[in-house]
Amino acid sequence: MDLCLFAEFSFQSLSQYVLNGLLMGALFALIALGYTLVYGIIELVNFAHGDVFMLGCVLTYFLCMFAPEYPTSLIFIPLLLLIVPICCSLLNITINYLVYRPLRKAPRLVPLVSALGVSFVLINVGQMAIGTSPKSIQAQLLPSETNQSSANRETENATRSNEASEELTRPRRSWLTWADILLIGTVIPAMTGLALLVKFTKIGKAMRATAQNPIAARLMGINVEFVIALTFALGGIFAGLAAVVFTLKITTIDYLMGYKNGLYAFTAAVVGGVGSIPGAVLGGILIGLIYSLGAVYIGGAWVDACIFGTLIILLVFRPSGILGTRVREKV
Amino acid sequence: MSQPILELKGVHTSYGVIEVLKGISIKVEPKQIVTVIGANGAGKTTTLMTISGCVPIQKGEILFNGQPIHRTPAHQILKMGLAQSPEGRKIFPRLTVKENLEMGAFTRNDKAGIQQDIEKAYHLFPILKDRQKQLGGTLSGGEQQMLAIARALMSRPKMLLLDEPSLGLAPMIILKIFDAIQELNREGMSVLLVEQNARLALKIAHWGYVLETGTVTMSAAAQELLHDPRVQAAYLGE
Ligand SMILES: Nc1ncnc2c1ncn2[C@@H]1O[C@H](COP(=O)(O)OP(=O)(O)O)[C@@H](O)[C@H]1O
Ligand SMILES: [Mg+2]
Repeated sequence: MDLCLFAEFSFQSLSQYVLNGLLMGALFALIALGYTLVYGIIELVNFAHGDVFMLGCVLTYFLCMFAPEYPTSLIFIPLLLLIVPICCSLLNITINYLVYRPLRKAPRLVPLVSALGVSFVLINVGQMAIGTSPKSIQAQLLPSETNQSSANRETENATRSNEASEELTRPRRSWLTWADILLIGTVIPAMTGLALLVKFTKIGKAMRATAQNPIAARLMGINVEFVIALTFALGGIFAGLAAVVFTLKITTIDYLMGYKNGLYAFTAAVVGGVGSIPGAVLGGILIGLIYSLGAVYIGGAWVDACIFGTLIILLVFRPSGILGTRVREKV
Repeated sequence: MSQPILELKGVHTSYGVIEVLKGISIKVEPKQIVTVIGANGAGKTTTLMTISGCVPIQKGEILFNGQPIHRTPAHQILKMGLAQSPEGRKIFPRLTVKENLEMGAFTRNDKAGIQQDIEKAYHLFPILKDRQKQLGGTLSGGEQQMLAIARALMSRPKMLLLDEPSLGLAPMIILKIFDAIQELNREGMSVLLVEQNARLALKIAHWGYVLETGTVTMSAAAQELLHDPRVQAAYLGE
């Protein structure tokens, strides 16, 4: 183990893993936003959110079966980035309308348990759609990489087995894969868009006001139910964007991926300060870095321990997360 | 007599199985200040929240300018011209003073008019102008109360519901706020004022109701209530 630590430690590989961590972190952040937005408005940990992401991946997988040959497939990607987020968004709105909305006045534990229930239902839907074994997309949508063993794949492998060291020491040329460029090109506009929406538009201000005091928001003439639906819609859009990028980058999906990635993203939201939008981004990147560096330098089997260990240590010293406000002002 | 601007007819409201309002009837004539006084827990806040549509009504009717509003969603009631400054102020703590005022004008789209009304609010409570860039949560209790009233006025309401504007404030500040309420009323604003500070409320009101555990037990001109021995014993500490 120690030997292998020395063998791996070169600046070049370190920078690649850091980059990789940042990229995975951006994906976690995208999912984390769905948790944090909903929590900010109705104080519900929407456990089903990760599975909405999973179904987005499943949808992407099926849509990819209809993908045209490369390079025509490049036109197909924007289509994916349109269809999948819209479907995830509609799914999220429907879940809110059918399950959470009727429970709005119930004690807080009730919607929380219902969210778990919805999560199981969605997992079953995913299982029915693709079965229990992992599935890989066959179509080639992006230009082929000059270097097949991209570091992304390696980190993935490293998290799966401890014996990836052989592969990890292999030299590599490309820093960014095409999928990574797609990721960056999706995440940055999406997050900028959200920031602008929340900060400057009237409906964005209504969202902030509702999060800060829902009763006062109603008294201002804000249709709070509409704001809640919009929040679920936004969360769905981000889950859908993450799903497309994730599926094209990792290329393998399974029906339980929503549980694991959802948990990482939720941790990211909590670490950053649940309810805080910049917090979710920061938390996502932090978790991504631990995910990537932990897998390589500590060992794939320890990744989860590292992530949740960080969560616990951080919450001991900063219970409200990095950027969270301490206690919500409640009268 | 003219049609009342607000009328509650036998309003019942419950939280779960607990009935809090047991069929109360209240009338507010246009351009008047009407006060509802009562002990803590009598149901004053519930009354205002039922009127504003934030708590569902069980039975009875609420008419605003003759139109039934007891099945109307809260955001539409505000649009009809009925605004509330709620108990505990409920300022948006992480919005600035100016943004809080802008939220008050959420249902409006006339930018110039909104800007004009913000200036009017600063005229009514000059301290808010000095604080306009400060976050709502950093204001003192009195400043928050002023902001809550000013914010409610930003929708250009026909009527104002005020829930305990004097609560927890120093006497000097209370006087300022009650002066402002009277000034608004002189300009034609109808006001339904809920107070535990009965003496103060009855002094500025035209009409008063006494609410005891969800039932209206007295209804008379405010001056009359001020001199009623039962009111004096129970609410004026004499
Ligand atoms: N959200 C609520 N859920 C359950 N009971 C409530 C709620 N709000 C108020 N109550 C109860 O209703 C009664 C009236 O409360 P409230 O209208 O706040 O009285 P007041 O404003 O006159 O002090 C009290 O007994 C209070 O405990
Ligand atoms: Mg009260």
